[in-house]
Amino acid sequence: MLKIKEYLKPKTIEEAYEFGNLLNSLYVSGGLIVAQLKVSHLERLVDLKTLGMDEIEDGNTVKIGANVKLASFMKNSILSTLNNGFFKEVAKEIGSTQIRNMATIGGSIAFRLGWSDVTTIFMTAKSQVELYDGIFRKMSLENFIKDGKRDQIVTAVYLPKNARFLAFEKFAKSTFDIATLNLGIALSLKDDRIEDVTVVVGSRPMISERVREVEEFLTGKDLLSSMDKAADLMEKVIKVGTDMRASSEYRKALAGALLKKAMRRICHESGIQS
Amino acid sequence: MKVSNVKSSAVAPTEFKVVDTSVSKVDGYALTKGKAVFTDDFNIPNALVVKILRSRHAHAIIKSIDASKALALEGVACVLTHEDVPRVAYTRAGQGYPEPSPYDTFVLDKKVRYVGDAVAIVAAETEEIANRALDLIRVEYEVLPAVLDYEHASDPEMPVIHDEPEISGAYDPSRNIANHYEMHIGDVDEELAKSDIVVEGTYYTPNQSHAMMETHVAISYFDPNGRLTIISSTQVPYHVRRIIRRIFGVESRVIKPRIGGGFGGKQAVHVEAYVTAVTLKTGRPARCVYTREETMTASNTRHAMRFKLRVGASKDGKLQAIDMQGLSNTGAYGEHALTTFMVSGSKTLPLYNKVKAVRFGGDIVYTNTEPAGAFRGYGAPQSTFALDSILDELAYKLGMDPIDFKLKNSIREGETSPIFKVMGEGREGVEQIVQSCKIEECALMGAKHFNWYEKKKRPRIEKTKAHGYGVAFAMQGSSIPAIDMGGATIKMNDDGTFNLMVGATDLGTGSDTILAQIAAEVLHTTTDKIIVYSSDTDITPFDKGAYASSTTYVSGNATKRAAEKMAFEILKAASEIMSEPVEKLHLENGKVISESDRSLTYSEIQTKLFYSFKQRQLEVTESFVSEVSPPPYMVSFAEVEIDLETGKVDVLNFLSYVDCGTPINPKLARGQVEGATAQGIGMALYEEHVSDKNGRIVTNDFFTYKIPAREDIKNIKVEFAKSYEPTGPFGAKSVSEIGLDTPAPAIANAIFDAIGVRIKKLPIKSEDMFFAIKNMVKSL
Amino acid sequence: MKVEFKVNDRKHSIEIKPGELLVETLRRLGYKSVKHACDTASCGACSVQLDGNPVLSCRTFTAAVDGHDVKTVEGFSKEGELSAVQKALVDEGAVQCGFCIPGLVVTAEALLKENLNPNEEEIKTYLNGNLCRCTGYVSQTHAIMKAAEIRRSSTSVPVEKRGESS
Ligand SMILES: Cc1cc2nc3c(=O)[nH]c(=O)nc-3n(C[C@H](O)[C@H](O)[C@H](O)COP(=O)(O)OP(=O)(O)OC[C@H]3O[C@@H](n4cnc5c(N)ncnc54)[C@H](O)[C@@H]3O)c2cc1C
Ligand code: FES
Ligand code: FES
Repeated sequence: MLKIKEYLKPKTIEEAYEFGNLLNSLYVSGGLIVAQLKVSHLERLVDLKTLGMDEIEDGNTVKIGANVKLASFMKNSILSTLNNGFFKEVAKEIGSTQIRNMATIGGSIAFRLGWSDVTTIFMTAKSQVELYDGIFRKMSLENFIKDGKRDQIVTAVYLPKNARFLAFEKFAKSTFDIATLNLGIALSLKDDRIEDVTVVVGSRPMISERVREVEEFLTGKDLLSSMDKAADLMEKVIKVGTDMRASSEYRKALAGALLKKAMRRICHESGIQS
Repeated sequence: MKVSNVKSSAVAPTEFKVVDTSVSKVDGYALTKGKAVFTDDFNIPNALVVKILRSRHAHAIIKSIDASKALALEGVACVLTHEDVPRVAYTRAGQGYPEPSPYDTFVLDKKVRYVGDAVAIVAAETEEIANRALDLIRVEYEVLPAVLDYEHASDPEMPVIHDEPEISGAYDPSRNIANHYEMHIGDVDEELAKSDIVVEGTYYTPNQSHAMMETHVAISYFDPNGRLTIISSTQVPYHVRRIIRRIFGVESRVIKPRIGGGFGGKQAVHVEAYVTAVTLKTGRPARCVYTREETMTASNTRHAMRFKLRVGASKDGKLQAIDMQGLSNTGAYGEHALTTFMVSGSKTLPLYNKVKAVRFGGDIVYTNTEPAGAFRGYGAPQSTFALDSILDELAYKLGMDPIDFKLKNSIREGETSPIFKVMGEGREGVEQIVQSCKIEECALMGAKHFNWYEKKKRPRIEKTKAHGYGVAFAMQGSSIPAIDMGGATIKMNDDGTFNLMVGATDLGTGSDTILAQIAAEVLHTTTDKIIVYSSDTDITPFDKGAYASSTTYVSGNATKRAAEKMAFEILKAASEIMSEPVEKLHLENGKVISESDRSLTYSEIQTKLFYSFKQRQLEVTESFVSEVSPPPYMVSFAEVEIDLETGKVDVLNFLSYVDCGTPINPKLARGQVEGATAQGIGMALYEEHVSDKNGRIVTNDFFTYKIPAREDIKNIKVEFAKSYEPTGPFGAKSVSEIGLDTPAPAIANAIFDAIGVRIKKLPIKSEDMFFAIKNMVKSL
Repeated sequence: MKVEFKVNDRKHSIEIKPGELLVETLRRLGYKSVKHACDTASCGACSVQLDGNPVLSCRTFTAAVDGHDVKTVEGFSKEGELSAVQKALVDEGAVQCGFCIPGLVVTAEALLKENLNPNEEEIKTYLNGNLCRCTGYVSQTHAIMKAAEIRRSSTSVPVEKRGESS
């Protein structure tokens, strides 16, 4: 049980932001993280679920409300079919059924968990985040992770709709475990050459980060034959750390290995023989 | 079927009606409905919440404890320190008395010996107040250097962990040696020298956590008549009662309701002493529910062990000598220290009875880490990993199939091993001739079912994946002979049902069901007519508890005896009522039937005896103490897949053939083996404790200490190679522990088969595998 | 603060602390089937259905449940009668200590609502957050397959009958 004084259910985003800016307040959406916090000075929770923000809207981009649950990756007809069912497949690797039924997109991104698969996946897909801090603003997820403020409310995530191939790999000790390392890659192919490539590595154990050196190396290359060299480069440039789950040396090797796996996956999907 | 001689135990297997069938668990309905049947589900009005203040230091002397602020908090009932509880040395281990474990523990002591050791007991009106009180207690410590590495525990410079004068039963506490054991048969050095091939290796197994779903819980209160009553999630209610009396000098009643798993972790006094101290002090009910973290870091683990092995064989594959030198870490206290270590020899080595010479021995050392204790397999999984791995290596060096090699050297029906007599559990063993042993069938049927010979011809490495196939052999025991005793009482009711009262402790294993089946078989009735009451020390007869693979064997035999006596009493009563000689009567379908086709139902008989005819209650009590400990046997086959890019190992298929005699309930027996297999896979691949440099376990929850999840367990299959053990109830032997012995060696052997890397340390981590593969590729 | 919600169709109108967790509230209300077996959202023993979806009651604030529907295992069986899932679990020997079972039943019932014809893989994936230390999972998977089969045939019974009578 959290020792708080009040649990607030704001009616508008303005009210929520106001409450959130009171001393010792914290937003809560799914509650998965918040319910575990051991903070003694916390006085108030501000429930964002009362604000709705749980719609998925199809358009030029897909707008996913911050309160949409991860389970929607599998259940929502728009999300589950996007990019050949990519989101539906990767969702299975995130937490468990119960966790996916609780965890919100907003909570997953806003907390900046180092090991978040969700962050890696959305960063790979070059998502934009919509925020509220008195006014609504939009920025790339990448910039939000770097520069976003804690008091900003994530209101939605915008997922670009394009024909890029998406692949995600997670390495974990057990099937119900957080990532020792995760990796996402997105790219398009023009005459079998790689274009518009994004490579993201997360749970390094630090938070997800794009690996621009590898992206640059891959641009214009042939998918199949660049794989090994890209993996070698990844192992050289990736910044990783040591923790209870793995040494930095092993994480480097995993980053290379997962890159190869992800690229093979795209080969397979795009019909290139590997 | 006629009961011409109800004493006879040699019933042919085909004639069973209830035994050897998969009746559903007698407690299954309550459990699936989520009824309030576990300790913490009991509403006890006005119970105080008990919390334990635990040490943050691995080794320290408590200089002072200032609890004044905590006591001043409204709602705090008491704070107890070492000055408030009796200073009586005991062992937490629940074992036959006198226990082979050293008396080296106090409810609270002025010294703490591991991170998590109890410092003070707090009781308050609510959990929140109790937790606040914990924060308010000020403890001044004199921090001592700690012994964290068990391989150096008895080095000369090491601090002494147990320097208290009251300690007894420990081998050499001044060198941190809790116990020491050694034995030999034949001349090992000479036989090794004569061997054509000798293989050596050092093997490590870790401090696995039981990770039972229900944490440790107990409630204590005075009943309306002032009798201290303890409800506890324990495997050993009778030992708890005895130990509580030793500590506090108070008589008590211990009740075990349903337990949410134990696996040996609840074969010790954990919470009971704390709640009792509070109830005695305050007169009020007290409840203590361990957190997951306490269960992980302040209860028990498996003994981490190291085995240095040397084995030798002749060119033609005859095992000549086994030299097995062990070292076991018992942690801060010596619970089950000697006995687990001895079992690691006595329940593995007799399997290879053709060997000419055997030497086994080593120290069980104290360290400033979480105390080790009983854990399913009780030493055997540790040693089986070492022994089976090295025999696999020896077979490989001999150019023999490991199945052929192990079969050639293993025990058969009608044979014995001198080790049975030399080495028991905490003391000498008993001589025994093996009367049931289907190890050969296990191996051969298993090999066929697994497609062993065909699979071994397949290519091992394809692209980024390697596949490998491994086999492991194991034995265990059934009870501790000449020590374990269990009793059973059967009472007949006028509705034709029977109450079966047993001390035997069902911890989820289904023993209540199995014992009901045994009684039903003898009494020619159905399981639903046997109403079981188990594990209430004021009501049920004594039973040593649930451990040492003994419940089916010992408590089952006691039940069978009691049922046989009851059958005789029924026949006697019926003979009087019907005026027919006993010899002309038999039991059938809940009735007594005479040769002249007259019949009386059980209900009619007991009703007459209650109200109108030679009035009496039919009730009998019988006991059983084992003279031997017939081993079950098992052969397991593992198929692993190794991801060469990451080092990750997956067990794709795991097949076991088990000889447990007659499986009294095949479905429940299979469940025992499947569950043990998953725990064995956990020990082999997933379960690892990480400690920081101060000796604090950081993997203190299910988020960081990974037990296998559902998708981790791919394909487990269990088959039975039935035998008939004449000393067991209806031919049964034990089945609950052996399943944990084979997974680790079978998986390690399969990894060697796949990529030629010998695994000598558990758990097998992807990271270690990755670098082993990388080094191997480099050296090619 | 005051909240109102339904548990197994029964309305509860109660006073709670603002930081209270659903597992605590439910156990306090007597729904003892809901188990609290870990502190890290890692075991699933506390699973209940919230508006039909399985969630972890150890991570759900009771305050957030105001106005919603909760279902615990007590809601799946009539007195004296087990649901197909429960019965199959007992029959297949998939209940050992039973501590994981209430959470498992609640989650498996949700699975069968979404997918009445799951294969072994789908069962394992759906229930991966429900740890069981006793059974090794094999028998539980079989039991759920069996329960699904029974459900399928019981929902298709009327169709068959119609076929027979025509
Ligand atoms: C056992 C377990 C396993 C898990 N496994 C995985 C996994 O495999 N992969 C993975 O990616 N994740 C995993 N997760 C993480 C899970 O996805 C996160 O807990 C979840 O994403 C948090 O979402 P929530 O809605 O519950 O957040 P909450 O707990 O409600 O909030 C989390 C934080 O974000 C803030 N916050 C919430 N919503 C907003 C918002 N809209 N705007 C601004 N701030 C906000 C809160 O103040 C809080 O600080 C796991 C979690 C657990 C407990
Ligand atoms: S109690 Fe373990 S997940 Fe809720
Ligand atoms: S039956 Fe014991 S945890 Fe599942």
